[in-house]
Amino acid sequence: MASNVAPVLDFEYKFGFSMPEKNVFKSKKGISEEIVSMISDMKQEPAWMKEFRLKSYRIFREKKMPEWGADLSKIDFENIFYFIRSTETQASSWEDLPSEIKDTYDKIGVPEAEKNFLAGVSAQYESEVVYESVNKELEKQGVIFCDMDTGLREHPEIVKKYFGTLIPPHDNKFAALNSAVWSGGSFVYVPKGVKVTLPLQAYFRINAERFGQFERTLIIAEEGSYVHYIEGCTAPIYTTQSLHSAVVEIFVKKGARVRYTTVQNWSKNIYNLVTKRAKAEEDAVMEWVDCNLGSGVTMKYPSVYLTGRGARGEVLSIAFAGKDQHQDAGAKMLHLAPNTSSRIVSKSISKDGGRTSYRGLIVVHPGAKNSSVYVSCDALILDEKSRSDTYPYMKIKESDTEIQHEATVEKLGEEKLFYLTSRGISKADAEGLLVNGFIEPITKEIPLEYSVELNRLINLEMIGSVG
Amino acid sequence: MNNSKTFLNLNLLKQKKFNFNKPGKYIVFFHNLSGELIFNINAKGVDLDIYGLYTGKDQDKFIVKTQQRHVAPSARSNLLIKGVFDDTSSFHYEGLIKIEKKAQQSHAYQKNQNIILADGVFIRSEPFLEILANEVFCTHGSTTGKLNEDQIFFLQSRGLKKTDARKILLKGFLDEIYHKLMDEKIQIIKPKYD
Repeated sequence: MASNVAPVLDFEYKFGFSMPEKNVFKSKKGISEEIVSMISDMKQEPAWMKEFRLKSYRIFREKKMPEWGADLSKIDFENIFYFIRSTETQASSWEDLPSEIKDTYDKIGVPEAEKNFLAGVSAQYESEVVYESVNKELEKQGVIFCDMDTGLREHPEIVKKYFGTLIPPHDNKFAALNSAVWSGGSFVYVPKGVKVTLPLQAYFRINAERFGQFERTLIIAEEGSYVHYIEGCTAPIYTTQSLHSAVVEIFVKKGARVRYTTVQNWSKNIYNLVTKRAKAEEDAVMEWVDCNLGSGVTMKYPSVYLTGRGARGEVLSIAFAGKDQHQDAGAKMLHLAPNTSSRIVSKSISKDGGRTSYRGLIVVHPGAKNSSVYVSCDALILDEKSRSDTYPYMKIKESDTEIQHEATVEKLGEEKLFYLTSRGISKADAEGLLVNGFIEPITKEIPLEYSVELNRLINLEMIGSVG
Repeated sequence: MNNSKTFLNLNLLKQKKFNFNKPGKYIVFFHNLSGELIFNINAKGVDLDIYGLYTGKDQDKFIVKTQQRHVAPSARSNLLIKGVFDDTSSFHYEGLIKIEKKAQQSHAYQKNQNIILADGVFIRSEPFLEILANEVFCTHGSTTGKLNEDQIFFLQSRGLKKTDARKILLKGFLDEIYHKLMDEKIQIIKPKYD
C-alpha cells in the first residue's frame, strides 16, 4: 500500500509500452478508392463486399462530421494507416505467435485468462485477429466464434444476410468509414436454443502509430439462445492521434438474450468513435455493459431497437475522465413495440480537468403501449477543474407509457469521508473506497471471475492506484 | 439572510430574461408560456423557485427552453414544470442547469413531470446539466406517462366513476404548484382545466 501522500485516484496509464513494429504489410497513409479496393482484394473478398466497401467509401466522403458532442476537429483522415497485416497467417496456438506480440499480451495477461477456462480468446493485434482459440464444447454446440474476415470467408450466407443491415453505411460518417475499411472484429453465431455458459472474449489492441483500427463485429443470437461477449481494450501510448472506429451489430431473436461487456482502456491519444446497435425481437433481452476508462475522446452510445413485443433493453455504463479526456458516452433506447421496457444506469467520474458527458436518447413510438423507461445518471466531480454534463433527449409519442429520468451531480460526501478517516483510514483510501462504492452497481455486473484482464484493469485503475 | 420576497408572474411581465443581482427569495410562475426563459443567478444568497404549468389541448404547441445559470456561488434554484396534455397537443421542453466555475456551493434542481391523456400527444423532454464546479449538488428528474392505473382503480373501488377518478388525480397533479404558491402566501388566478 502506498503512503498517505500518494495522489488520490491516480489513474496512470499502465499499459503504455510499445513493441517495435514488425508488420508484414502496411498500406499507404490516407484513404482513397484504391486503398479500399486494395484492402478488399488482399482479403480476397466476394464481389458484394468490395461493392459494399466502395459504396461506403463514397458515403464517407459525402457525410459531414457530427456537429455535436466532443471536439473532433483534430482528426486528420489523410494521416492514418487504414490497413496493417501483422502476421501472414493466423496462429492457432499461443506458441506460434511472434515474440513481440506475445510479450505485449503477456503484460496484459491474456495467458492467465486462458488458464481460467475461458470459452475462447480472440485477440486482435493491429488489423487482424492473430490468435484465436475456440473451445471444443462451443463447436459441438454449433456456435460460431471467429474473426469477421474468417466469418465472411466461411459463412458468407449468414454474413451477407445481416452485415450492415442494422447500421447501414449512411448511418453516420464513422459507420461509413468503418464499412469502407473494416478489418477484423468478431463474428458470433449462436444457434437456436443454445446457451453459451462461459463468456466469449476478444481482446483488442492498437500497436502501430497513427493507425486507425476499424473492427467490425456481428453477433447473431437465434431464438431462445444466450451469449455473453466481452471486449476489452488497452493500447500503448503514442504521441500522434490515432483513431478507433468500430461498428458492432447485434441481432437478438425471439426470447434470446445477449450481454455485451466492454472495458475500454485506450491510451489518451486515441479517438474512440464507435457505433453499437442491437435489435431485440419479441421477448428478447439485450444488455450492454460499457466501461469507458481510457481514450482521449470517446463518443459511444450503445443502442437497442426494441422491435418485438415484450423486448427489454439495458445499458449499464461507467465513464471515467482524467486529464485531457472527454468521455461523451450514453445510450439509446427506441421503443417500437408494446410491452417493451428499458433501463439505463450511468455512473461517471471526472477528475484533473477531465470532462464526462452523458448523452442519451429515448424514443417511444406510437403503439409502444405499456412500455416503460428508467434512466438514472449519477456523476461525481472530484475537483474544481473538472466538468460533468448530462444531455438526455426524450421523445414520447405514446400515451400508455411510463418514462422516468433522473440525474444527480455531486462531489464525494464530506460526512462519509470524515467518518472513514475517523476510523483511521487514510483520506486517499477513503476516497478510493467511496469511488469504488459509487461504481459498484455496475462493476459487480462484470464477471471478473472469468477474466483476469478485466480484473486487472479494474483493480489497477480503480483500487491499485489509490491504495 | 435577506428576508425580501419577490414574486414574478411571467404571464403578466412579458419579460423572458432575468438577472438576480441581490440576495433574497424569488418566486417565478408561468402558465402555457413558450419561448426561452433565462434566469441568471448573479448574487450569493439568491433563493429562486421557478414554477411552470402547462395545460395543452387541441393543437396547442409549446416550445419552452429554460436556463438556470449559476454565476455566483452559494445560491439555490429550484425549477418545477408540470404539464398535462390532451388531444394532439405537443410540448417540447429543453431545460438547462449551468453551473459556472465560480459558482461553488450551488444547489440547483430541475423537475419536469408530464401526463399524456391522448394518443396524439407528442412530448419532448430534454433536461440538461452542465456543471463546471465541483462543490455543488444538482439533480434533475423527468417523468412522462399516463395517469396511474392503480390510483384510478383505488378511487373506483371507493365508488367513484372512472371519469371522476381521473379528474381528481389530474387536479391533484396540477394543484401541487398552487399549493406551493399558497405556502408562500401568493394568490394567482387559477386557469381552468377540465
